[in-house]
Amino acid sequence: MNLITEVCAGGVRGGTSILYAALGETIAERAGVIYLGTEGSMLTGALAAYAVTASTGSPWVGLVAGAVAGALLALVHAVVVLWRGANQLATGFVVLFLGLGLTSLFGAAYVGREITAFQAYAIPGLSKIPFVGEVLFHHDPLTYLSYLVAPAMWWLLYRSRLGLRVRGAGERPEVLRAYGHSPTLVRYLAVVAAGLLAGVGGAQLSTAYTNQWFENMTAGRGFIAVALVIFAAWHPLRAVGGAYLFGAALALSPALQARGIGLNQFVLDALPYVVTLLALVVLGRRRANAAPDGLAQVFDMTPAR
Amino acid sequence: MSETSVLERPAAEAVAEAKPSLRDRLAGVPWLGWVVAVAGAPIIFGAFVAVKGVNPITMYADMLASLTTPAQAETVIIRAVVLVLAGLAVAVPARAGLLNVGGEGQIVIGAVCAAGVGLLTDQRLPGIVVLVLMLLAGAAGGALWAGLAAGLRLTVKVNEAISTLLLNFIALDLMLGLIYDPWKDASGFGQPSSRPLADAARLPLFTTGHKLNIGLVIAVLAVAAVWWAMKKTEWGFRLRVVGGNPEAARQAGMRVGLLLLSAMLVGGALAGLAGMVHMSGTEFKLRPGMTLNFGYIGFLVSWLAGHRPLRVAAAAVLLAAIAMAGDSLQINSGLPAASVNVLMAVVLLVVLGSNVRARKAKP
Repeated sequence: MNLITEVCAGGVRGGTSILYAALGETIAERAGVIYLGTEGSMLTGALAAYAVTASTGSPWVGLVAGAVAGALLALVHAVVVLWRGANQLATGFVVLFLGLGLTSLFGAAYVGREITAFQAYAIPGLSKIPFVGEVLFHHDPLTYLSYLVAPAMWWLLYRSRLGLRVRGAGERPEVLRAYGHSPTLVRYLAVVAAGLLAGVGGAQLSTAYTNQWFENMTAGRGFIAVALVIFAAWHPLRAVGGAYLFGAALALSPALQARGIGLNQFVLDALPYVVTLLALVVLGRRRANAAPDGLAQVFDMTPAR
Repeated sequence: MSETSVLERPAAEAVAEAKPSLRDRLAGVPWLGWVVAVAGAPIIFGAFVAVKGVNPITMYADMLASLTTPAQAETVIIRAVVLVLAGLAVAVPARAGLLNVGGEGQIVIGAVCAAGVGLLTDQRLPGIVVLVLMLLAGAAGGALWAGLAAGLRLTVKVNEAISTLLLNFIALDLMLGLIYDPWKDASGFGQPSSRPLADAARLPLFTTGHKLNIGLVIAVLAVAAVWWAMKKTEWGFRLRVVGGNPEAARQAGMRVGLLLLSAMLVGGALAGLAGMVHMSGTEFKLRPGMTLNFGYIGFLVSWLAGHRPLRVAAAAVLLAAIAMAGDSLQINSGLPAASVNVLMAVVLLVVLGSNVRARKAKP
């Protein structure tokens, strides 16, 4: 497989976890809540999936566990922010810390332990297409699932009544209230959904992409997902391209190393974060105006407590 | 917003009104919140470790015992010194309404710049000159790193919470890149690191044979300086107005952009100082993992303290003690040191959740 194909394929597979987290974050932010603890939900999801897979032997059961774990952590965030009114950015960050601590506390037993992970399946027929086949159709089931989740998310947000309520909670909560719905309830559900999807992303990371668990294995992917949502202008389908781009940036280093091409390893390691920053810079100004109104408040008027 | 929009009131009135309401909101953590947090968190954490099969009572007993030996108490103070600076690095921007989660990266860059200057000069110039240069380099490096994020916020509206976070990772890779190649200590073994600094570049100790260095003086001075700046200077007042009500500040004619920039630069400089003090007082070289999450714990310190300088000092000592207790966890109770983050996070969550007086109604 040549370098380009390998990097693109790696981009898809490696970007899937970021994509899940970004899709989840999109829902939350559309409802007007920013969940900076996405990284924590990914971590707890990754550990829960890995641990349950190790105990039960089935990565699918692990997947469920991962989703639940991510959702539970997000629930903590939702309660502190929505019920107690705490600063969203600070709370998200503390929730991340909670996730870090919990996963290190309960994860030590699973470092270096082998599991029956998700296997990669080539989809018959489609995988034979030159280039596209290798890039898109030689992956694990969770990646294939993400191909469906992203358009489903688009449909949910823009074509369904639930999506209307979500967007209403973020843009015109008073209108939502006038129609008898509770913006707060919608926000709770949105944040929990964000955590759930981030948990799935974490599960993909540990049981499909790397097949291992170690402390802090997400290495900032959750933050990249949060940034991704911004310069995808809160649109689920645009998040797909961004996620794969960063997946490719993450996949570049091992691909080059495997070929003996000696670019500085740390330059490559820093590349995804630099690319994210650059994307934010280039696309940021235009995109910032596309923010849901409720979110703009969080960003511009972070109060000093 | 439910109450009359700020835009409909004359600017001067809004500013005058901003002052008392600021005092309400900046009144810090109510005592009840503190008590609940400090009492409830250990119980919750104890429950978690009990699930892991560790007896929480003996764990806490071990933690307390480990903290009361003089050597350990000294280490707590040394760590608290760095945490105070890291906490102030978050507190100053927070007063202006900015969220600086880039302490970790700013500490690293500060340590790198200080180390660079130290490596160049420690065998050529007298100690005091070297140290002063390193202090300046560390502060400048940290300020620069924070300034990047501030610049991004002011020019292209990139929220500093995200940009500083991303810069943390980049800073870490920058340091690793330096350690692994151009600055690599050829005579080192095990973990790659930079060459250990000569005595001229090390922070002097209070008494030989002990570990406490004059970083303590630097930290005390920093606390005093920030307190004085916040309470007694025009700049500090303006910063607080911007933090409480940026729209009112803008209407009153304050240069909000410049104030935000200056707040981030000061915060970054403090974090850079933290990096310099840690490197030149304890580590004496750059190595992977040297920052021990000081940046992130500094964030927790500042929020725990309600961003008030004197309380930052107290919170820093508390969290330094808890962090040290994390080491005891590893040695005595067999739990990973990082699990102490659970305790810290729970304390913070309770504090954050209890600090709810006088909030504006959510739309």
